[in-house]
Amino acid sequence: MRVNNLHVFLNFEIFILLTAVAAPFIFSFSPYFQGLLIFVMIWIVMGTSWNLLAGYTGLVSFGHAAYFGIGAYAAALPYFHWGISPWWGLLTGGVSALILGYLLGKIVFRLRGPYFALGTLALAEILRIVFGEEIWLTNGHSGILYMTTWVSKYPYYFVALSLAIGAIVSVKYVMRTKAGFFFLSIREDEVAAEALGINTRKYKNIATAISSFWAGMAGAFYMIYMGFIDPEVVFALHNISIITILVGILGGVGTIWGPAVGAVIMVLVQEVFRSSIFGLAPQWVAKFHALVFGLLVIFVILFMAGGVVGDWNLVTAKFRRTKHAEKS
Amino acid sequence: MNYSKIFHVLFVIILFVFGLSNCSDDNGPIKIGVLLPLTGSQANFGEMEKNSYEMVKEKINSEGGINGRQLLFVYEDDTGKPDIGRTGAEKLINIDKVPLITGGYSSSVTFAACAVAQQYRTPFLVNTGSVDKITQPSEFNLTENDGDKFYIYRLNPPVSEYTSGLESLLSEVVKPASVFILHENTSFGSEGAESFKNICEKNNVKILDVKSYSAGAIDFKPLLQNAKNTKPDIVYMISYVMDAALLMKQSREIGFMPKLFVGAGAGYTMPAFKENAGIASEMVLSVTLWHQTLPIEGALEYYNNYIKKYGGEGPDYHGAEAYAAAQVVVDVLKRCDNDYTPEKIKSTLDKTDINTVFGRVKFSSYNGKLHQNKMSTYVVQWIDGQLKLVWPENLSNAVFSYPIDWNQVWK
Repeated sequence: MRVNNLHVFLNFEIFILLTAVAAPFIFSFSPYFQGLLIFVMIWIVMGTSWNLLAGYTGLVSFGHAAYFGIGAYAAALPYFHWGISPWWGLLTGGVSALILGYLLGKIVFRLRGPYFALGTLALAEILRIVFGEEIWLTNGHSGILYMTTWVSKYPYYFVALSLAIGAIVSVKYVMRTKAGFFFLSIREDEVAAEALGINTRKYKNIATAISSFWAGMAGAFYMIYMGFIDPEVVFALHNISIITILVGILGGVGTIWGPAVGAVIMVLVQEVFRSSIFGLAPQWVAKFHALVFGLLVIFVILFMAGGVVGDWNLVTAKFRRTKHAEKS
Repeated sequence: MNYSKIFHVLFVIILFVFGLSNCSDDNGPIKIGVLLPLTGSQANFGEMEKNSYEMVKEKINSEGGINGRQLLFVYEDDTGKPDIGRTGAEKLINIDKVPLITGGYSSSVTFAACAVAQQYRTPFLVNTGSVDKITQPSEFNLTENDGDKFYIYRLNPPVSEYTSGLESLLSEVVKPASVFILHENTSFGSEGAESFKNICEKNNVKILDVKSYSAGAIDFKPLLQNAKNTKPDIVYMISYVMDAALLMKQSREIGFMPKLFVGAGAGYTMPAFKENAGIASEMVLSVTLWHQTLPIEGALEYYNNYIKKYGGEGPDYHGAEAYAAAQVVVDVLKRCDNDYTPEKIKSTLDKTDINTVFGRVKFSSYNGKLHQNKMSTYVVQWIDGQLKLVWPENLSNAVFSYPIDWNQVWK
């Protein structure tokens, strides 16, 4: 039975991987849809990164935009000042965010619960303001524009897919190690974990390091792909930090595949409504794009607290019951 | 119930409808993309501009269309965000297959979307996005000699030229000794502040301070109190509409009374500014790019028709820009000899020289910019709830009030 389950699970993962590899070719008729797939990948990386910290370690971050923004500027600033390609950001973005995460940890790990959340939020806001005001360094609110390398979406998609796979695999791997169990113990009861001899500060730093690294990589890739950033875009509270949280909540906090499912739903719902169902519905439908996503999040919080993946068994059980009742 | 069957039927329907939607029809309407903020904090502007585009479309289609084909504007809501703006531009080019994009309100969104249009070699006629670099080819890895490779055209003046009309009013009439500059933290705000600083330095006006604020903030009192303590002669403000209204309301509340409040266009000329600021909007001066009483053929007619069709207050320069952009689109399409490809439209845009409700539109190259329409700017003032043209004097329809007794005005 156990072997069968493992077999099914591996098959599921291979199926997801093959679908993800085939997806841009399925949508080869439209770079627009390929672009949406790339956004899905960016949000998978962000959601997975946040999930490790909030879902597994219990450190709910409201300031993930700080790592994202630092990663984006790590790619953009060398280009802006010295003409160095933003592609180097894929090396520097994650590391810069990791260093920031470590420094941030020194300050905010003194705080717990809502104070930790507010601390991360405040630090992201400070960075937004500083990057907006230090024009000599960042070009301020005028932002940094870079003419992207290719018009074709394929290379970007596969880089984004690699990042998403990297984020998921690293979280999955680390959660199977001793560190992963320590993360869970910190989430469940930090004082008890400390009493058992776990160096909670050290493991919170490790969780933050992995989480901030992937958020920084997502930010660097965002710069490479979008070709334009300014502080209001990459350090945005609602457009980055809050959406990252919603992706995690929607898909399922503390689950490996939750953020991936949340990212697909988020991008799909927002774009379907924003584009008036890809131009097929009347244009007034577009006005509901934010509302529908908001209602969806409320619905999930009220009726599926574990998110789509977390409560998947409940959903399927409900469907089975309905089907069974119809038959009888 | 068989969910699998329902899913399959839905899938087939979606494929079928997508198939239909992508079919091109040579006798169908000519589709032109319009990128505007139709939701979010900039929706006021987007709605006014969309209404103006629709007016031109309805007029042209009722007259038989363009070479026998109807005109259709496909709107994309950029929601005021650069990434959504880029996605919207991609959708217009790849899904809707439009040969020309127009619109573009917020500077940062327009700038980001222009890069997409440039990469896909699809002309983008910008009607409002004003940050200078939008028409600077160097920003897109091109030179000033690359006009044939540069696909961006702009109808409105760049933000550095917004204050050309105001400059003469300040130097000839107001002659302020000091100024305090407040601007929102966007590219439009910071570049507008920079160009006004240059004007002040040129005219020996002391700059007491330049402060930025987060667009969409709700409490400006600490900032205004700070400005009040410096006792400036004039306050120059660069804001979108809701911030503009709040800045003036809160100035009134704390009794901040410089000799003059001057807005940099944008929010300060919008009807929504007066509606939200109420009495605090009175006597506020603003830069403008257009006024319905200017001696421009069709300007007043457009203004009156807008009120007749949509009611409420009339449009400000944003509406006129959109109407003029739509007029340029129609003119270009008519001259395209039924060849509605991006390349043909681009070459036709190059030769554009028409009179619109916004004034003459002709794209030229100057000061490192390409395909930039050059025009004058003016100064308006809210007098008795009406936006009156007060400068230049020979075109004005009201007497400029200065200095202002705010106790009297705000009571």
